[in-house]
Amino acid sequence: MISKIVKSGLTRRTFLKSTAVTAMSAGLPAASLAAGNTIRIGFLAPLTGAVAAWGKPGLDGCQIWAERVNAAGGIKLGDGSYDVEFVSYDNEYDPAKARTGATKLIREDGVSFIMMLGGDTWPGVQPVADKTGMLFSTLLPSDLSPDTNTLIAPAEVHPIYNVTGVEWLAENKPELKTAVMCAQDDALGLPSVATYLAAFEAAGIEMLDAPLLFDPATTDFAPVVTRLISKSPDIVCLDTCYSDYVHPIAEQLFQQGFTGQIISCTADFYDQMIAKTSEEFMEGFVFQFPDFDDPALNGDNINFTDPNGFYEAFNTRHPGQWGAVSWEYASIMDLWKAAAEKAGSASPDAVAAAMKEGKGKHAFGDADWWGTELFGIDNALVGDWPVVAIESGKARIKDFRSIPDWYAKHGDLLIKHMQAYDQMWNQRS
Amino acid sequence: MLDLLAQTGLNAVYAASYISLVAVGLVLIFGVMGVINFAHGELFMAGAYAIVALYAELHLPFFVAVAIGLLFVGCLGLLMEKALFRPLKDNPLGGLVASIGFLMILQALAVMGFGVRMVHIPPVTQEVIVFTEKVRLPVARLYVIIAAIVLLSALWYFLKRTKFGWALRASAQDPEAAALQGISITMTARIAMFIGAGLAGIAGALTAPLVSVNPHMGHSVIVTAFIVIIVGGVGSLEGAIVASVAYALVHTFVTTFYDGVLADIVGLSLMLVVLIVKPTGLFGSADRA
Amino acid sequence: MPKFLIWIAALAALIALPHGLSFSQQEILVFLTINVLLVASYRLLTLTGEWSLGHVVIMGVGAYSSALLTKKLGVYVPISMLLGGVIAALIAVLLSFPLFRMKGFYFLIGSFAAGEIIRLLWKRFRDPFGGAKGIKGIDPMPDFSVGFYQFDFFEPTSYYYFAGIIVAVCLWILWRIEKSPVGLTFHAVHWQDKLAQASGVNVRAYRTLAFAIASGFAGISGALLAHYIGTINPNAFDIDLMVYVLTWAIVGGTATFYGPILGCVVLTVINEIVLRELGLEQMRPLIYGAIMILSILFLPNGLESIVQKFTKRRAAEGAPERRPAE
Repeated sequence: MISKIVKSGLTRRTFLKSTAVTAMSAGLPAASLAAGNTIRIGFLAPLTGAVAAWGKPGLDGCQIWAERVNAAGGIKLGDGSYDVEFVSYDNEYDPAKARTGATKLIREDGVSFIMMLGGDTWPGVQPVADKTGMLFSTLLPSDLSPDTNTLIAPAEVHPIYNVTGVEWLAENKPELKTAVMCAQDDALGLPSVATYLAAFEAAGIEMLDAPLLFDPATTDFAPVVTRLISKSPDIVCLDTCYSDYVHPIAEQLFQQGFTGQIISCTADFYDQMIAKTSEEFMEGFVFQFPDFDDPALNGDNINFTDPNGFYEAFNTRHPGQWGAVSWEYASIMDLWKAAAEKAGSASPDAVAAAMKEGKGKHAFGDADWWGTELFGIDNALVGDWPVVAIESGKARIKDFRSIPDWYAKHGDLLIKHMQAYDQMWNQRS
Repeated sequence: MLDLLAQTGLNAVYAASYISLVAVGLVLIFGVMGVINFAHGELFMAGAYAIVALYAELHLPFFVAVAIGLLFVGCLGLLMEKALFRPLKDNPLGGLVASIGFLMILQALAVMGFGVRMVHIPPVTQEVIVFTEKVRLPVARLYVIIAAIVLLSALWYFLKRTKFGWALRASAQDPEAAALQGISITMTARIAMFIGAGLAGIAGALTAPLVSVNPHMGHSVIVTAFIVIIVGGVGSLEGAIVASVAYALVHTFVTTFYDGVLADIVGLSLMLVVLIVKPTGLFGSADRA
Repeated sequence: MPKFLIWIAALAALIALPHGLSFSQQEILVFLTINVLLVASYRLLTLTGEWSLGHVVIMGVGAYSSALLTKKLGVYVPISMLLGGVIAALIAVLLSFPLFRMKGFYFLIGSFAAGEIIRLLWKRFRDPFGGAKGIKGIDPMPDFSVGFYQFDFFEPTSYYYFAGIIVAVCLWILWRIEKSPVGLTFHAVHWQDKLAQASGVNVRAYRTLAFAIASGFAGISGALLAHYIGTINPNAFDIDLMVYVLTWAIVGGTATFYGPILGCVVLTVINEIVLRELGLEQMRPLIYGAIMILSILFLPNGLESIVQKFTKRRAAEGAPERRPAE
């Protein structure tokens, strides 16, 4: 009976309201959309299975974020202040389960905003997003296309920020002239390959070989590394390899006698990599994800709330688990909170409008909503991104570099390589 | 170029070593129990986590940890035999499902005990044997190669030269006739499960410092092992070893000279070709299909 | 007459069912309906004694075919679903040439390898298959009205009715096939391989026929899935889902037509509803695995054996049931 009421031709907004009403009338616990002083936020990401490493640590970070915000008085909207509560649904990185989860979070739990990892799972959720007008966020801007009006990529504009590392390297170590690259053959690896190719070309660094692709199920990296260093490159680029690949590859590079420069998108648990190799070997390793105890994050340009304290809280509760996704979902919540308080409302439309008004408060500094050329829609928040290098066993931010500035100079190269790997929005069928 | 060939050859020898340890265990279990042990990759994983607990966390000497790991995983094998495969011995598909259930339990236990992300194991040794500037063999990899040669030789001796081995082979070939000869099927099943699981466990334990240890690491291992035992012939230990070497050579050389994705396709195609030409595998006999 | 009434009551219950469920449970119901067809088609294949690990990839062939037909050629959705099934059946016929040189365990692994190669091809050829990201934005089933009911295929209830009708028709066809002389020959191929051959039955042809029919219906279930969620990718049809199908069939029991369906329904409800409601996120696989083991240990003939106990008593004169595969 319920579904018949809902079905009778609803617009997006009345749809949300009426589902809340029907949920209440059905006596579900979810009825607390307005009841009580709590705002619910959906967390729809893999929590079990092989991709759980991209979801679970993010949820851990969000719990810390929620406690800190609630302790500081919660979110102040037009009609008083609200506590935040996260409701999670394990989508197992499966589009069908993601769709079910989105339905549950929106129609039964009454959430005001849903954060996702994205990737394979987003297309399953997209029809639900279109119908309900719910605001979603993704970590992977490659989910964006002209028809994803309610999807934002406000934390990381993977993989475009990788250009900053290459640009910094070319400026600070001009003696490095040649490079090779390897990547896993998947939705994360390929756009990143195209980006690094563009960045190397822009920097005048020569690729000695075509990028070497390996299957995501690879466990032994000796053959990959043997091939990589066979032509004695100055730079080995590890693309956006997961830490499960970065570590054994670095270990093999060390064991097979490579002594040159390494650049990578991530270096989660780099202390373990140092333990497996040596401090000298890892010295100068360039990547893109800082530790949040970095003094450079205390600057006025940074919008992430108390990064040092957050880092400490996270490490106390989950020792040795800090990684790239630990802070990203929380940084999206900072952005969401600022927008909701500005709008005085938690409704998805109002928050989205407030969020996209003027400059966006990105974790690493005010940034622009950008992306039409690459994604077909201006829903990615792009500004400065840190370049991080390992010095004496500790990750240090070396510089913040502007992604839009790079793009203004070399955008055509990026588009050329993206097209070659079928990664432009109009090529992604 | 010669250097590249030599280094790739060394890489292939290492790959052949750990693959054959896993595959031989799988073949042994199938031969004696008649069950496809889907959880074999998770036994490999359990061996790796034994090193995490004993070596990385309790700081026991590495080889002590490996030995305990072998016993531990061997005992997991005994547990599977007693709790799952013996009650289901007339129901091979039931055994298959039970081993899948066991796999899920082992994975979930690893997640609950050690988290979903990869865990750290300090290197056992960073020594490298340097043949030339570009031909090197890390000593930690040499351990795996030596272990494979020693253990598989010992197994071969055990099977061909001892009474137990004879009993094991007899019950693999014809359980009823073996029982009539006074061979205890239960005992041979236990021995086979212990050895088969223990081999997977020691492969996991020895390679743990060299790979990323995470709860899902068993998946790619079992896929490779399936390919290998099909090419070799399901019931044949010799076949498993020969096929491990062949697969490792092909996969390593294609990865190095073309790319890793192509290597997977070539590996699978190789297997299909073998199956089409000789449906029972290189060393298989028709009666155990 | 009472039997007729039971069917009417069951039909009424199935029609009323979604209205008693929460929204997310309605979504699960849709996927469950599709999986019922998948597992029922799998049973037809097992009738001939062969267990495949490639069935889910074949389902994917139906899904990819139907999605590409609508996307590239603009074929009307229900027709593309049917064609998806036909293409899956044709691919199965093609695969049968290498695969049916093998039996038993070799067939099991051989079918797995064939499936993996198909999945690698989807990943490798970004045009037209979309690579690792797969295909998205697949046309949904167009909405339509049948006078008293307006089908809005975003709503799970609507799609449940639509998929339910298709699945019911498919199940009826599968049931008719099994009870026909052809179906009886499938049984014979399994149990009296040599005898069947000696009495002039072309065993290979019947195996291929069973494989093709089962694959065709798996393809339709894949197409139903593709046009509901609107996206498919190679990982959605990997060994993980295959393992679920295998366990549904075996835990349910394959001696009866309804056994695998029962297994699918019970295990899905436990995994997707009961265990999730209990909030056991990280422990969910552990409990699911334990339930699988316990059910296979204590119900070796599957969940169907419970049902049989009750029905046997009432219909003692019924024909002897097929015993479960050994």
